Amino acid sequence: MEVLNSAFDFKDFPRLDLTIAALVAVFLAFFPVLPHSSFAMATVIQFLMFSLYGMGWNTIGGYGGQVDLGKAQYVGIGAYTTAVMLTKWDISFWFSMPVGVCFSVLWSFILGYPLFRLKGHYFAIATIATSLVLKDLFEVWDFVGAARGIEISPIQFPSPDFIRLIFKEDVYYYYLILIFFFIGILYMNWFRKSRLGFQLRAIKDNEEVARSLGINVHWAKIRTYAIATAFVSVVGSFHACYIKNIEPEDTMSLDISILIALMAMLGGAGSLWGPIIGAGILIPLKSYLKEWLGARAGLIGIDLIIYALIIMAISAFEPRGIWGIVQKIRRRRR
Amino acid sequence: MDILISSIVAGLLIGMALALVALGLTIIFGVMDIVNFAHGEFLMIGMYTGLFTAQSTGMDPLLTLPLAALVGFLLGVLCYAGFVRFLLRGPMVAQLLGTFGLMLLLRNIALLIFGSEDRALHHGILVGKSFDVGMEIILPATKLAAAGLSILAFGAVWLFMKKTRIGKALTATALNRQAASYMGIPAERMNALAWGIGVSSVTIAGALLVNFWSVNPYVGLLFTMIAFAIVALGGFGSVPGALFAGLVVGLITEIPGFWDFLTLAFSAEWMENVPMTSFKYMWVYVAYFVIMVVRPRGLFGWKY
Repeated sequence: MEVLNSAFDFKDFPRLDLTIAALVAVFLAFFPVLPHSSFAMATVIQFLMFSLYGMGWNTIGGYGGQVDLGKAQYVGIGAYTTAVMLTKWDISFWFSMPVGVCFSVLWSFILGYPLFRLKGHYFAIATIATSLVLKDLFEVWDFVGAARGIEISPIQFPSPDFIRLIFKEDVYYYYLILIFFFIGILYMNWFRKSRLGFQLRAIKDNEEVARSLGINVHWAKIRTYAIATAFVSVVGSFHACYIKNIEPEDTMSLDISILIALMAMLGGAGSLWGPIIGAGILIPLKSYLKEWLGARAGLIGIDLIIYALIIMAISAFEPRGIWGIVQKIRRRRR
Repeated sequence: MDILISSIVAGLLIGMALALVALGLTIIFGVMDIVNFAHGEFLMIGMYTGLFTAQSTGMDPLLTLPLAALVGFLLGVLCYAGFVRFLLRGPMVAQLLGTFGLMLLLRNIALLIFGSEDRALHHGILVGKSFDVGMEIILPATKLAAAGLSILAFGAVWLFMKKTRIGKALTATALNRQAASYMGIPAERMNALAWGIGVSSVTIAGALLVNFWSVNPYVGLLFTMIAFAIVALGGFGSVPGALFAGLVVGLITEIPGFWDFLTLAFSAEWMENVPMTSFKYMWVYVAYFVIMVVRPRGLFGWKY
């Protein structure tokens, strides 16, 4: 009960924020009813997925200050578990998703124990290495289709299949991921006020002091890493059902890991709304730039050039992200 | 036995070139504690510089090295003055993502200009020639030259860092930034110099590698990761460490050769079925991870 109270308690935000958040929530709830193109629908689903990835990253990377650039491997574990179980043994999404989470969390404990002996840059690069190793392994592992990946053919199932999560229309996927999205926000709202959340912020500020206060720093980090992993893995499972064609290159590449971290940072790492703001800006920008400049004008890569310039500008001039700018303006007004 | 020796020789030769690739990264890290994701992209630029200069002027590829060095130096100083300078004020995550942005920028500009196809050199005095030293060991002339010139360039940079006045200032800044600035060493200029030297050493390596390695805009990431592994093993900021670790990592990339040797030696059937060549670079990442966890300081490093 107390947990739920805390999760639904947004009182510490100014009324303006909550009004905007409520408006966005209403918009998202009624988006499929409004006239839209299928491209816009796909973009909004991507936005919701990446917000969830970002929220997961935000626990360890934002509140905990441990820059993790290897989240894509857990997207891969979640996606592959669901895809393999569905195509080989016809097992429902609702069973394979928790199994995927278990695998991911187990793997995160195995990696987390040695990884969190490292700090700063060293930690960040080591997470990249682990992710690349896993990707290379999946690329040669025949059981999971090696570099070709796995394809879930939707024809063999009747269309609105709520057990296996195979739909022809994107609307079903949309509402499912939207529910996940709201649960994610409530969880994060609880998390930031939980004991672990406060411990993490103490660790971020000063690890020595945190340790001297009796916080088990290593264990707190590993636990948070597992939480972040679970978030990412759930959305990875969803990704498998939604995209229906998963390859190591699409699900586990370094670009995905970086994109996850980048969104949280663009929006403002270590704040509740940061990852959502970041995903809300970057994902539409990325897909529309690709559509307009890449596909129509025939300039391959120009979308990524603009995207790279944004990354460079934000990291050089406002590393605390958009939420940082908002906070700065508010402080000045007061 | 032949496989073993030729694998070792091939590993050592490529290792010398890889050491030069990693040298730039270790200098930049040593001087200003910044991890540069764009490192492999600078290598790619060096490769394209060597390739196009050789193709358009008809010069031998090996003569393009000074031009590659010049391009690298200017590019490095430009990147520092125009971009990296601002990153240093921010938190660590901003530095990581900022240099990642630089990497994306360079890669995609190359993609836009050069297209995504593989390009390779087909002419030059060394291309296609090889020496047979007996015992069935064949040394391709390009690799031999690349290894030799890499060592030469490596030695030149090392001498510069140890013997010249300005190089000593650079070393001093790497060892203790604050103390160096008390001695009147301008830290800003040393940073720019480190970027100049670091990037020019990697573009030289690129111009050497292009003799036997085809180039496309995506070639960078692999070399970035290899360079990270070398620098981690040798110790972040350590120049002699980079050479030693480069040789070790060169041998690691030849693990498939050793595997073949062991397969023959034990005539084990299950070993034949392992697709070891697909794992060629995975061992580099594994080695990197193990080194970071067991000894984050590296073998010769002083920073942690």
